Amino acid sequence: MIPTMKQILLLKQLITLYLIIPADGDEQQSTNNWKGVFSISSYTQYFNVDTDVVLNRLISSLYPISGDFFSKIDANPDLYGLVWISTTLVFAIASLGNCATYLMHRRSDHSTSWTFDVSYLNVAACSIYGYVLIVPLAYYFLLQYLGSNASLIRFWCLWGYSLFIFILSSFLLVIPFEFLRWTIILLGGGASASFVALNLRSYINESEITIVVISAFVLQMGLAIFIKMWFFA
Amino acid sequence: MSHSDTIPLHSTSQSDIDEIENLINSNPSSVLPARPPSPPRASIPISSAPIPPPAFIPSNLPAPTNPKTAPVPSVSSAAPKPPLPPRPSGPGGNISASGFGSPPNTLTEPVWDTVKRDLSRIVSNLKLVVFPNPFREDPGKALRDWDLWGPFFFIVFLGLTLSWSASVKKSEVFAVAFALLAAGAVILTLNVLLLGGHIIFFQSLSLLGYCLFPLDIGALICMLKDNVLVKVVVVAVTLAWSSWAAYPFMSSAVNPRRKALALYPVLLMYVSVGFLIIAID
Repeated sequence: MIPTMKQILLLKQLITLYLIIPADGDEQQSTNNWKGVFSISSYTQYFNVDTDVVLNRLISSLYPISGDFFSKIDANPDLYGLVWISTTLVFAIASLGNCATYLMHRRSDHSTSWTFDVSYLNVAACSIYGYVLIVPLAYYFLLQYLGSNASLIRFWCLWGYSLFIFILSSFLLVIPFEFLRWTIILLGGGASASFVALNLRSYINESEITIVVISAFVLQMGLAIFIKMWFFA
Repeated sequence: MSHSDTIPLHSTSQSDIDEIENLINSNPSSVLPARPPSPPRASIPISSAPIPPPAFIPSNLPAPTNPKTAPVPSVSSAAPKPPLPPRPSGPGGNISASGFGSPPNTLTEPVWDTVKRDLSRIVSNLKLVVFPNPFREDPGKALRDWDLWGPFFFIVFLGLTLSWSASVKKSEVFAVAFALLAAGAVILTLNVLLLGGHIIFFQSLSLLGYCLFPLDIGALICMLKDNVLVKVVVVAVTLAWSSWAAYPFMSSAVNPRRKALALYPVLLMYVSVGFLIIAID
């Protein structure tokens, strides 16, 4: 089978990604100073944010309908949010999940003793880090293949900030009422998923890839339901 | 070696002996010793007489017919002495350990001296970091003589204490605690560097390790006393103490507008460790 031009291009970009992270789609970034994979100073351009900027972006991630996240981060996307929001979420769901099982145990039966389950940390770390690193990467390659320009750093930034709602809802999920938990997780998951989907749609701006937008929505809801079922059962 | 004559070389050893005999017979004054001269070594003087050069002098050899036994008398006097590394300065002079400067003494000192020196350094660093002292605000002075033994000991101690306290999955608890603390210290340092701050990598690792000392005490108390309320209070107090110890160093390393961004992960790590201490029973 002879590979098409698009496939050759995709392959070339895969190889390029293995060597360096591409800075942007096709526009020349004036502050792009890449000094190699192992030099810290080449990554500082992605952490060039102040406290108030980060807080502003966090607050805007709570409003799913506005759809202007990409215009906010366009000049200065950051990976600080990605790293620390996902890390906080890992700790939050691991510890609060244990709290939740403790409270359920207190309410129901006292025959078995409750022990702290350390494997929650492992599962949480693998699932959250895996999701937030791989899903934007997959969407980046998908959109490149479909022809529209996408920026990997901005996708990572978007998905990273979209997890903030889960941190807040995981505090509420400790309440040991099953119906309330399902309500909370569906609302929180819906908010986060629509945040991702609406911003993605406003960024891509083409009409034939609504399936991409819908799949992003479904994936985020899937993550929410997974969190509820594994950690807060 | 070069041949002035044209004796052809044979491939058997007998031919080599013949060759040597031919050389001896042709030019007796330039016989080389059978044992190649050793590289110049500092030789410890064994007598007050002037010391000959360390290379073997051919004139010391007896009759050349038994070349192998000749160098033995000269060698045996030097062999029992401990070998010293080769020095470019030649013979003469009393070469003792002080010729290298003070560090070689640490090789020959008793083990207890080394351990005592390291322990005293750990204690002094601990006093600088964790307890109030006038140099706290200045990161350059705060931990000038950093070391990694202290942090290593504190991290392992915390992991062991948590592992002892746990009733199930002890090894997994230790692994999680150790990985969390060790990787956490590295990641926190990288975070400050990425935010454009100025710290020295290993000094920061050392400092974050020393700041775990209050949490170590808290974990020890929680292991001994199993009441939930006591645990919460103890962990809260030691957590505040650890954060207070780490605060000046971290906050002075970055731009003031990004201070919270650098401090929040420190707080996150200590809170998660504190939570582990409370929850593991």
